[in-house]
Amino acid sequence: MKRQSVAVAGAGLAGLVMVAMASPGRMVSAAAASPNPAAAPTAILIDAMETELHRAMSSLGNTATDATQQPKPYFLSYAVSDSDSISLTAQFGAITGSHESRRRSADVQVRLGTPAEDNTHGDHRNSALTTVQLPLTNDHEALARSLWFATNRGYGKALDGYLKVKTEQQVRAKEEDSSADFSSEKPTDAIQAEAPALSVDRTAWETRLRELSGLFKQYPDVFYNNVILEASTETDYFVSSDGTKVATPNHVARLVIVARTRAADGMDMFRAETFEADEVAHLPDQKTLTDKTLAMGKNLEALREAPITEPFNGPAILSGRASAVFFHEVLGHRLEGQRQRGDEEGQTFTKLLGKQILPPFISVVDDPTLTNFEGVPLSGHYSYDDEGQQARRVELIKDGVLDTFLMSRLPIASFSNSNGHGRAEVGHMPTGRQGNLIVSSSKTVSDVELREMLKAEAKKQGKAYGLYFEDISSGFAVTTRRSPQAFQVIPLVVYRVYVDGRPDELVRGVSIVGTPQAALNRILATDNKPDVFNGICGAESGSIPVSAVAPAMLVSEIETQRQAQGTTRPPILPPPGADAAANNGKGGQ
Amino acid sequence: MNLIPRKLQIGTAFSATLCATFLFGTLSVTNYAAAEKPSANDDPMLHAMQTELDREKALLQLPGLQRPFFIEYRLDDLDTYEAVANYGALTREEASRQRVVRVTVRIGDYAFDSSSSRGDGTLELAPTDDNPEALRYALWIATDAAYKNALRAYSAKQAALKQFQSTQTQHDFAEAKPVVHIAPVVTLDLDRSEWRRRLVEASGLYATDPEVRSFAEHVQYSTANLRGLALNRYLVNTEGTVLRQGYAGYEGAISVGGQAADGMRLARDNGTVAVNAKDLESASAFRKRTIEDLKSFEELRNAPVVSAEDYHGPVLFSGDAAVDVMNHLFTPNIEADRPEMGTTARTTGAYSSSYKARVLPEMLSVTDDPLEAKFNGKPLLGAYTVDDQGVPAESVDVVVNGKLENFLIGREPVKDFTTSNGHGRAAPGQAAHSRAGVLIFKASQPLSKAEMNKRLLDMAKQQGRDVYAVETLGGAELLPRLLYRVHADGSRELVRGAVFDELDNRSLRSDIVAAGNDAYVSNSLGAVPQTTIAPSMLFDDIGVKRATVEQEKLPYYAPPALTEK
Repeated sequence: MKRQSVAVAGAGLAGLVMVAMASPGRMVSAAAASPNPAAAPTAILIDAMETELHRAMSSLGNTATDATQQPKPYFLSYAVSDSDSISLTAQFGAITGSHESRRRSADVQVRLGTPAEDNTHGDHRNSALTTVQLPLTNDHEALARSLWFATNRGYGKALDGYLKVKTEQQVRAKEEDSSADFSSEKPTDAIQAEAPALSVDRTAWETRLRELSGLFKQYPDVFYNNVILEASTETDYFVSSDGTKVATPNHVARLVIVARTRAADGMDMFRAETFEADEVAHLPDQKTLTDKTLAMGKNLEALREAPITEPFNGPAILSGRASAVFFHEVLGHRLEGQRQRGDEEGQTFTKLLGKQILPPFISVVDDPTLTNFEGVPLSGHYSYDDEGQQARRVELIKDGVLDTFLMSRLPIASFSNSNGHGRAEVGHMPTGRQGNLIVSSSKTVSDVELREMLKAEAKKQGKAYGLYFEDISSGFAVTTRRSPQAFQVIPLVVYRVYVDGRPDELVRGVSIVGTPQAALNRILATDNKPDVFNGICGAESGSIPVSAVAPAMLVSEIETQRQAQGTTRPPILPPPGADAAANNGKGGQ
Repeated sequence: MNLIPRKLQIGTAFSATLCATFLFGTLSVTNYAAAEKPSANDDPMLHAMQTELDREKALLQLPGLQRPFFIEYRLDDLDTYEAVANYGALTREEASRQRVVRVTVRIGDYAFDSSSSRGDGTLELAPTDDNPEALRYALWIATDAAYKNALRAYSAKQAALKQFQSTQTQHDFAEAKPVVHIAPVVTLDLDRSEWRRRLVEASGLYATDPEVRSFAEHVQYSTANLRGLALNRYLVNTEGTVLRQGYAGYEGAISVGGQAADGMRLARDNGTVAVNAKDLESASAFRKRTIEDLKSFEELRNAPVVSAEDYHGPVLFSGDAAVDVMNHLFTPNIEADRPEMGTTARTTGAYSSSYKARVLPEMLSVTDDPLEAKFNGKPLLGAYTVDDQGVPAESVDVVVNGKLENFLIGREPVKDFTTSNGHGRAAPGQAAHSRAGVLIFKASQPLSKAEMNKRLLDMAKQQGRDVYAVETLGGAELLPRLLYRVHADGSRELVRGAVFDELDNRSLRSDIVAAGNDAYVSNSLGAVPQTTIAPSMLFDDIGVKRATVEQEKLPYYAPPALTEK
């Protein structure tokens, strides 16, 4: 695969030479635009995007005799993602998958009509979007023709969408929400340097992944495991007809460890750990990862044997990590602007603007401009969103009062502008999404005190114990086929904390009953050590990297019950050579 | 503890080798001749499969429930490469290597078991590292799931069968003799940088070549791609079969297209397919093909639309076109797939009740011979010696003098066909089904190209009208791509926008009046590689009519201007 990237680079050089011969004028201007000659290839790409965008804007809709049939687009944008990524997967001590890919894709967005009502209205959002693979080399002519092909197709799609919108508007009753379809924003001009080349010592990492996944052989009841390394560097280019021109680099490295076991009664249990950094070299060292992996294995073995939970309605602590996931899923997603719009959406918080929705000592911001939190890298960081808008810190909830939403360029009744949170994966229309969601508290106590408060609260309510949620999962982190749905929280590791001083007891099969956001109003206090959770978040606009930061919190009441469990027996035979492996495992502990 | 059964197993494998060599010596010799004779024993992955199979066979059982009577492990090791260029620039280049195990567990017995007609099995990713222990873990977990699924399926099937009055007459699974066949491992062998260069060049010819550049703006897309794959397949089963065999295939393809002035979508797509990359066509031939495709696309753009009046009469199909017709209308029906429970039909196809009946004209005979490894010196993609269920391939006379004499079949019997004839073939990671290998259509009195043409012109003269000849078809629906209106004087005129009417199994049986001696070899690198060899065929009564689809809008604006070169 190394050879492949070298070869691609070689082809890139050839492309450059060809263009240089074909169009010396363009090369000169490209070189003039950037004093650094190494930036020239990028200049060719941006130039092809700009030239072709302006040609399309001035050509489309002009030839029609009947102007209503073929309107001129009022907005056109090209968003190009130029990415190089690698992924390695190991299972049971051996590599099962390894993939490297270099891709350049363009999302072409065509809008017809007016910002007040265009072809994206209602259910037709995707009528604006066409995606095409672009040449990997900086061949101006091939880039331009590919963009033309996609724009032409996109215009046809937009025309069709616009016609449907017009027809539907004529037959339906007046909409409750009359907000516009597209916001007006000031143009941005920010060309940043290309992302650095992807650098992964493949052989070394393969060895590390083999070692980590092989550790699970010590736990014969953990019948499934996956250790995945993903690393990518990406430069995103955005050019639009309203004058925005942005190039912004992104690079991320991620290690995910997933493992599953099954209790004798058929209940499936899994754990997942993710580690994020800006590049693979900054991921935790092997010792740290080994310890985490062994802890997961041990924890799963313990969970298998743990007693099943009983229905419970009482106080609980969510660890910092559990709180972070909880806030991301339960609050963060509901604060996405587009959820306040349209007939289908819940609009949970639409009417609560300016009202108290959390205790007054809790504030929540989303700040994509942060690269780290107290030294821990944040994967939700970006400097420009996928609509070319500058990232900015947004105070969503101030002293418990709902202040604003996460806004893309899709307006809602209460807000008509973007606040730099329009995000999307390639091939998706951007919507308001989270970046780095940060929960802060002004009523903090130490962990020890928080635990005592839990016991006191349980005693007050006449309960024998309170619950401690150590780990909670969501659509957030897990990348396997067993991934649960987004917007839901599934407790993975839960302990009973007894008021009478008995040791904490691990239980399994806990699920949260009712609307989880009710718990947010019942926060009594938090600890003083915010924890960071990094992961991949999936929603309508695709999968994007996000972070959530929150302190542990004590809630006065959370209702739980036993989850619906699986019925399949655990594996009938022990794993191959289990006897030997188990002995080794014991020897190692 | 594992040591002893492992040794014992090697012993059985060896004796099975002897047995297999004795029975199928002729097949094996060609494979073994190439290199020093490899054995199952030398391959650590095959050995791991055997070890885990022995363990599961001995121990796998839920208390009070049946043990499996058959377990099969298949490891598919797939190495692929793909490169795509558009408009003279590389847009994609990807290589991937993946190993998948497929575990099949059958409960019951050969007469009645847990299987269903769609094929059963559990898939698990296997290590790409040669790590026998990790492979055994993957097999272990897949076997566990497959066994539990089979137990559920078995009781569900028993319950379902109680709805029917008569008992099942066909066995569910045909017994087969164990075979040991260890072929050399195949590898993906391709000059990637050279092909990358060819693809980039070919996809850019529309704008650079003086022969075609004048109509470059009509070309809406111009794509060239190359696909290469090498599949090594390892199989062991509880009957004692041990297999290691593989195939490679390569395809270089061109796709150009756009619209006629009236909006009609027109395209040319074709390419070169071979068993070895060195047998793909040369750089100059690939270049020439692209230019021919571009020229014929432009000819199509300028060609008149076929007459609006219906035509019923003679149509001469080239070998290329005849192959497509047969693969569409004939081949799926002679591949004996067992129908769902609850029907008395023999197979799922159109020839379910045509056994011993005439399905083609008397002058045509059809044989499927996977053992025919070469044709005119060129290796054939559909050839193999042992099928994917471990049954030695047999040459099968499917149609003799027009009459359907045999179906192609794997190990799932149908009425009148109780054993496999070595046609159980599997796509990567999929269950095996009955599939053709090298299907050869032959005429008893083949005519030369000139004679075929004369027959066509004679018919035109007799009937006092123009007739049709078709060179290539495109798409899944047998749409004519290059269709000519032929005048009685032999002159031809390209037409566009036609569809065939009444081209069906009845026309295969009754309308073919002559066949040529110009065998066309079509290698297809599909999920299961296949070769079809057929001559040109003259049909005397096929409908040709104008397609009724609405034309799409022409481009809303012109493509970017080409730079001067």
